[in-house]
Amino acid sequence: MRMKSGIRFAVSALLIGAAVCANAQDAKKYEVTAPIKIEWWHALEAQYAPLVEKVVADFERKNPMIDVEAIYQGSYKDLNEKLIAAQAAGTTLPAVTVANTPYIAEYGASGVCEVLDPYIKATRFDIGDFGAGLRTASSYDGKQVSLPFLISTQIMFYNKDMADAEKIKLPETWAEMDAFMKKASKVSDGATQRYATVFPGWDQWYYETFFLNNGVKIVNKDGETTDLGDAKAVAVAQKLKQWCDDKAAYWAYGKDASGVMRQNFMDGKAFSVIHTTSLYNMYATNCKFKVGMHYLPGNTSRDSEIGGCVLLIPRKNSQAVKNAGWQLISYLTGKDVNMLWARETGYMPTRNSVTKTAEGKAFLAEKPAFKAVFDNLDHINPRIQHPAYTALSKVWMQELAKVIIEGGDVKAAMKKAATLIDEALQD
Amino acid sequence: MANDSFAANVRAKRARLVSTVLQYALAAIVVVVVVFPVYWMIISSLKTSEELLRPVPSLWPAEFRWRNYSDALAMAPFGKYFFNTLVMTMGIMSLQLVIGSFAAYGFSKGRFPGRDALFVVVLGALMIPIQVTFVPIYGMVAKLHWINTFAGLIVPHAVSAYMIFMLRQTFKSVDDSFLEAARLEGMGRIGIIFKILVPMCKPTMLTVGIISFIDGWNSYFWPKMVTTTPFRRTIAQGVYELKRSYAGLETMNQNQIMAGAVMAVVPIIVLFVVLQKYILSGFSKAASK
Amino acid sequence: MKANGNAITGRRGASHRKREKAKDFLCVAPALAFFAVFVYYPLVDLFRIGFTNWNLIRDDYKYVGLKNYKWLFKGSGFDTWLASLKVTFSYTFWEIVITLAGGMLLAALFNRESKAFSAMRSIVFMPKYIAISTSAIVFMWILNDQYGFLNFVMGIFGKEPVAWLNSERTALTSVLILTGWRVVGYGMMIYLSAMKGISKDYYEAAELDGANAFLRFRHITLPLLSPTTLFLFVTTFIASMKVFQSIDVMTSGGPYESTNVMVYWIYDLAFVQFRVDRAAVVASVFFVILLAFTAATMKISNKSVHYES
Repeated sequence: MRMKSGIRFAVSALLIGAAVCANAQDAKKYEVTAPIKIEWWHALEAQYAPLVEKVVADFERKNPMIDVEAIYQGSYKDLNEKLIAAQAAGTTLPAVTVANTPYIAEYGASGVCEVLDPYIKATRFDIGDFGAGLRTASSYDGKQVSLPFLISTQIMFYNKDMADAEKIKLPETWAEMDAFMKKASKVSDGATQRYATVFPGWDQWYYETFFLNNGVKIVNKDGETTDLGDAKAVAVAQKLKQWCDDKAAYWAYGKDASGVMRQNFMDGKAFSVIHTTSLYNMYATNCKFKVGMHYLPGNTSRDSEIGGCVLLIPRKNSQAVKNAGWQLISYLTGKDVNMLWARETGYMPTRNSVTKTAEGKAFLAEKPAFKAVFDNLDHINPRIQHPAYTALSKVWMQELAKVIIEGGDVKAAMKKAATLIDEALQD
Repeated sequence: MANDSFAANVRAKRARLVSTVLQYALAAIVVVVVVFPVYWMIISSLKTSEELLRPVPSLWPAEFRWRNYSDALAMAPFGKYFFNTLVMTMGIMSLQLVIGSFAAYGFSKGRFPGRDALFVVVLGALMIPIQVTFVPIYGMVAKLHWINTFAGLIVPHAVSAYMIFMLRQTFKSVDDSFLEAARLEGMGRIGIIFKILVPMCKPTMLTVGIISFIDGWNSYFWPKMVTTTPFRRTIAQGVYELKRSYAGLETMNQNQIMAGAVMAVVPIIVLFVVLQKYILSGFSKAASK
Repeated sequence: MKANGNAITGRRGASHRKREKAKDFLCVAPALAFFAVFVYYPLVDLFRIGFTNWNLIRDDYKYVGLKNYKWLFKGSGFDTWLASLKVTFSYTFWEIVITLAGGMLLAALFNRESKAFSAMRSIVFMPKYIAISTSAIVFMWILNDQYGFLNFVMGIFGKEPVAWLNSERTALTSVLILTGWRVVGYGMMIYLSAMKGISKDYYEAAELDGANAFLRFRHITLPLLSPTTLFLFVTTFIASMKVFQSIDVMTSGGPYESTNVMVYWIYDLAFVQFRVDRAAVVASVFFVILLAFTAATMKISNKSVHYES
C-alpha cells in the first residue's frame, strides 16, 4: 500500500509541477528524528574490513543520531540465506543489506525490498548520475528497489611481464582466441606447464559474455525459453571444451576452484585468468609481476555485464529504521565513498560525473589498467533479470562443467540444459 | 618327552610374540592414519605461505610462523566463539539430560494409556532433520525475539529423541523391585529417577551426556541461522567464516585457516584427554544395552 | 507391584491409580510438548507448504493442489529425485559398512589389555569429537587437487593426481574418507565394550571343544554382538540418511549433483532456488521413506537378534 501511494504521489507531484513544495514535506517524512541503532549486512571479506570500518565511522560522524553495526555475513549465498530466513520470519531484518545483482529480480518480485523512488524524489538524491545500465540493474519492473553499490564487470587479468617478453597478442575477437590459446600456453608431452587462461566454471556469469557476444539469446524475449540448446550456443561450448581438452586452458570448478585459480595465476602457472574487475587490487598486490586487464573478446558484439552488489532496504522494517537505512544507503552509494572504493579495490567508479569528466582521467592516471574498462563503459550492460535466473544458472553451470571436465557430447549436454532451463523459466 | 614339550613351548611363545608384534604394528599404523589429519592441521598452521605451497610438502615446518595464530585471532574472535559454544553446549546437555530422564522414566516404568503409541511419536522425531523443518522453527524463535540469544541457540535442541530412546532402554533393564523398595520408603518420582535410576545407570547417563555434548559442539546449521551477528556465533561457524573471509585467497592463507581450526579443536581434545577415563567407561557399559 | 496393588483397594485405590497415571504422564509431557512444537508442528506445516506455490519470501501464496507432487513424480524433478535417493542410500550404505565392518575389525585388532593399547584406543576414537565443519576444512586441504597432501603421496607411487572433491567419480568417496575417519573409532569403541560383556566361559568351553579363533569369532562373538550391531545399524542409518554438514562444507552437493544427498537438495531448493514449495514436497516424501525403512529394519531385526539373557 505504502509503495503504491508513494508512486502515485510522486507521479501526481510531477504532473502538477509542484515538486519543490511537496519535497519539503516529504523530506521530513524520511528524516531521522531520534537516535537509532541499525544493522548493515554485507559480504565484504576481511580484505575490505579497514575500508568498511572507515566508511562507517565517517558516516556516524556525519549522522550522530545513527549508530551503524556493519556485519559480515559470509558469501553472497550465505547472506541470501540469512536474509530470506529473516524475511520469512518478518523480524530481525537489517536496515540495509547488500545483495548480489542477480538476486534483485527475485527480491523485487517477492516484495522484499522497499521501493526507493519516493525517497529519491523527496531527498533529491541524484539518481541521474548513475548510468542507465546501472539504474536498470538495480531496478525491478521499472521501480528502483536498490541502489548500485560496488560494481564490477568481467575482465581478463594477464601477466604483463610475460606478455611483453613473449609478445603475446591478447585476443580482441572470438576468432583470435585459437591463436591466443596456442601462443600463450605451454604444453609439452600432454602436460601443461602454463595455461593460456583459466575459465571460472563455478559461476556462469564469467563465461556468459562469450555466449552473448556470439549472438546467443540466454533468455528469449518471451521470457519463457532459451536458445542455449541451439547451434550457436553449442558452437561456443564446443570451442571452450576444445581449448580445455587441448590443455591450453582449464575449467576451474568446485568449492576451492576460485582460490586455486588465483594461486595458479600468481605462481605463473597461468598466463591469464578470467575474473571480475573488483579483484584488480587483490591481484596487483599479490602478484610479483605486472598485472594487466584486458576487455574480453567479442564477436557479433563485444559487451560485458554488470556484476557486484547493490544496496537495499528490506520493506518489512519500521519506517524509523528505513529512514536511517536510507541515510546510510544514500551515503554509501554517494560519489565520495564510491571513489574511495574504486581507488582501494577494483570496483568501478559508478558516477557519470566521474567517468565522463576530468575526474575519470585523473583516476585512470592513477590506475592505468582500468583503461580497458573505461574504453568500454558503454558496453557494460545490466545482467539478464528473471526470477528463475538462479535456477537457470545452476543448471547451465553444472551441465557445461560436466561435459567439459568429465567428457561427453557437448550438443547433448546443451540440449539437456536447455530443456531444463525452459521448464524453469516457464514455471 | 620333556624336550619335545620344551620345543613346543618355545614355538608357541614365538608364535605369540610374532602375533603380538604384528598386532602392535597394525594398531600403530591405524593410529598414524587417524592422527595424520590432526598432525597435518597443526603443522600447516605453523608454516609460511611459501612453504605451504611447495610442490613437495614438508612434514616439519622449516620455520615456525606463530603469527598465523595472532592473524587468525585478528580475523575472528575465537575466545568469544569458544565461550558461546561452551554455554550453548552445556545448556543443551543439561536440559536434554533432565527432560530426557523424566521422559525415559515415564516411557519405561510409567503406566498410562497410550504409552507405547506416544513413544513412537518420540522415535518419529529422530527422523526429521532441522534443515527440513527449520522455516517454521525460525519463525517461532524470531517471534520470541530469541535470534542472537542463548535461548535461541539452546531451546530448539532442548530435548533429544535419541537420548530418550537410549535412557529408556537402560531404565527398562533396572529391576522393578528397586523402585518398589524406594516407593515403600515413601520416595516420590523425582527421588526415584534421580536417586535410584540415574545412579544405577550412571555409565549410560555419562555416555548420552557426552554424545549430547559432542552434538552440541558440532552443531553448525542451526547456530549459523540463528545468529546474525558475531555476538553469539559459535566456534564451528568461526572456522568456516575464517575460511570464507579470505575471499578466494584461501590457498595461500591455509596456514591461518588451519590455525583457526587448531584453536577450535585443541580445547575439545584437552577436554577429551582429561575426561577420557569417564568417557570410555561410559561407552563400555552403555552401548551394549 | 502386586503386593502394592493388593494393599490399596476400593474407590480410594481407583482414584489413587488415576492420579498415579496422571503423574506418570506428566513425566513425559515436557518432552512430548517439545516435540509437538519443535518437530511435529513444523512437519505439518511442511506438508501444508507442499500444496502451495510459496517461495519463502513472498507474503502471499496460493494453494496449487498436487502441482509440486506432479513435478516430483512426473515432471523434471523425478530424475534429480532418483539420483539424490541413490546418492543418499549409497552414502548411507558405506557409512554403515565402515561403522560396522570397520568398527568390528578395529575392535578385534585393539582388543588387548595394556596401557599402550588403551592409549591407542582413545586416539582412534578421538575424531568423533572434532566438529565436522572443522575437520571438513582440514580434509579439503589434504584433498586439494594441486596442493593437497594426498595427491602428493599418490604422486610418490606414480599415480596421476586426482581431482578428489571436484570430480563426480571421486567426490562422494572424498566425503566418505572424512566420514570413515570420524566414525570408525566410534564403531570400534561400541563393539569393544560389548565384547567385554561377553562371558569368558563361552570361549573356554569352545576352546576345549577345539574351535579355532575364527570359529569362536563366528559362532560366539558375532551372534552375541548382534544387539550391538542392530543398535549401530539403526542409529547409523538414521544419522547418515540425514547427512548434511560435510556435504555443505566440502562439495555443496556437487560436482554436478554427484553428492546431492536428500537433505542438501531440500536445503538447496528452499534457499538457493527459492522453491520452498518443492523443498517441502521432497522433505515430506523423504520423511515417509525414512519412517518406512526404519520400521522395516526394526521389524526384521527383532527376529534375528540374539539376546544373551
